Amino acid sequence: MKSRSLIAILSSLCLSAMIAASAQARDYLLTTTKPNTLHLVDVAARKVERSYVIPGEGSPLGMVVSPDGKVAYMTTNHWGSLVGIDLDSGKEVFRAGFSQGDIRSRNTFGLEISPDGKELFVMLSAARLGQGEYEVLDSHIAVYRADAGLDARPARILPVPRRTTSLFMSKDGSRLWALSWDLYTLDPADGRVLKVDKVINWDRTDRTPPDVFGNWLQHEQTGVYAGPYYTTRPDLDPKDPNASRTGMMTLDLTTGALTMAEFENTEAIMFSTVINPARRNETFSVYNTLTKTDLDTNTLVKRVKLPHTYYCLNVSADGREIYVGGTMNDIGIYSTETLERVGQIDLPGGNDMGGTWMRMVKRDP
Amino acid sequence: MKHLKPINRKAERLEQAAEDGRAEEVRVMQVVNGCTSTLDPGWEVDPFGGIAALCQPVEADLYGCADPCWWPAQVPDTQNTAPNWADAAPSGLRDWRSLQPIHRKK
Repeated sequence: MKSRSLIAILSSLCLSAMIAASAQARDYLLTTTKPNTLHLVDVAARKVERSYVIPGEGSPLGMVVSPDGKVAYMTTNHWGSLVGIDLDSGKEVFRAGFSQGDIRSRNTFGLEISPDGKELFVMLSAARLGQGEYEVLDSHIAVYRADAGLDARPARILPVPRRTTSLFMSKDGSRLWALSWDLYTLDPADGRVLKVDKVINWDRTDRTPPDVFGNWLQHEQTGVYAGPYYTTRPDLDPKDPNASRTGMMTLDLTTGALTMAEFENTEAIMFSTVINPARRNETFSVYNTLTKTDLDTNTLVKRVKLPHTYYCLNVSADGREIYVGGTMNDIGIYSTETLERVGQIDLPGGNDMGGTWMRMVKRDP
Repeated sequence: MKHLKPINRKAERLEQAAEDGRAEEVRVMQVVNGCTSTLDPGWEVDPFGGIAALCQPVEADLYGCADPCWWPAQVPDTQNTAPNWADAAPSGLRDWRSLQPIHRKK
């Protein structure tokens, strides 16, 4: 009985220590630059905590992070491999090559990790290379076990609709969403289509089919995907400024609720969006401008010019700061309240981020 | 095929086969694997008919276009055809002078 009490006390102390450690956990931003370099950025301190050389060729694109914040998995090697880097040791702990024999496969954007961190879902476009022609093969999702090591092979293959750009996993791991021309709800066990939410095939006759550009995953602070879409009014002259309309699509990764609502005549291009975790009616979208909208009223709140184009963005856990990045070498920091530029972090080497993603992760300092 | 004109013998045979109903079904690739199927105008003019909504500066967009093979006519594709084209230029703005045209090997 005594030993049991001791174990209980020790366990309690250990748990307290873990809670104390996690209470100190702070926001880090993960992103990449050419050539094949991963950066762990302490955004509050405005500094790069550590940089990692990813073995092999390439320039990373998509990135997912294990739920414990310890491993970053990135698409690289000219979009032909998925590589996992342990953020503590810096070692490569996972590698999967997508091509085999005369079949060349590339991962373009669709990449997700299960909520328990055990499985990786990789959207693949495949072609058989002949001597004088390419034979297009069915698109599919390769599912890898995250602990499959350095010569990982798919644990299973799931069918997926063509033209899928983004994959999203539900918070309980029971559903996998594939954003294609429409939004498909898939069973992550076998790829069975459970539901289809119409997007490009919507029933509206007062609008042309919407154009959705969902390429960056950056929903970790809210569990809600958001992205702009563009449509037109067929009843107006195309030269009429009121003919082109911009809206916001949201997908709640807990409930599966999909919303689409317009907020302005199209006056700016936007590439990607995040939602403020502190005030969930606020969205922020980026490209040549930083745009703030209100989901409650479907209105434009504010738009400011940026010093250059940025493709992607993310947000601090307290909802106070926006981080814009991609394209060149700097991460611009903006106030969510005023959209004022309040800081900048230059990544080491001065090399381009290109089309990479920026993911937020909680880690102990 | 009225908008496309074959410019070599293989293309002529393909056109003939299509007219004869002998060609296998051709499917547009979902994404690019070799760049020959891409037709995506838009690098030179923005959706508003101007250039202000293009990426600024153009160097910022260089690898966002080359790495995904997004505009293979305008910039080499570093995904498949010219994977090492930009090795000497990891910063488009700083290193663009070292970028060279590519020529297909015969």
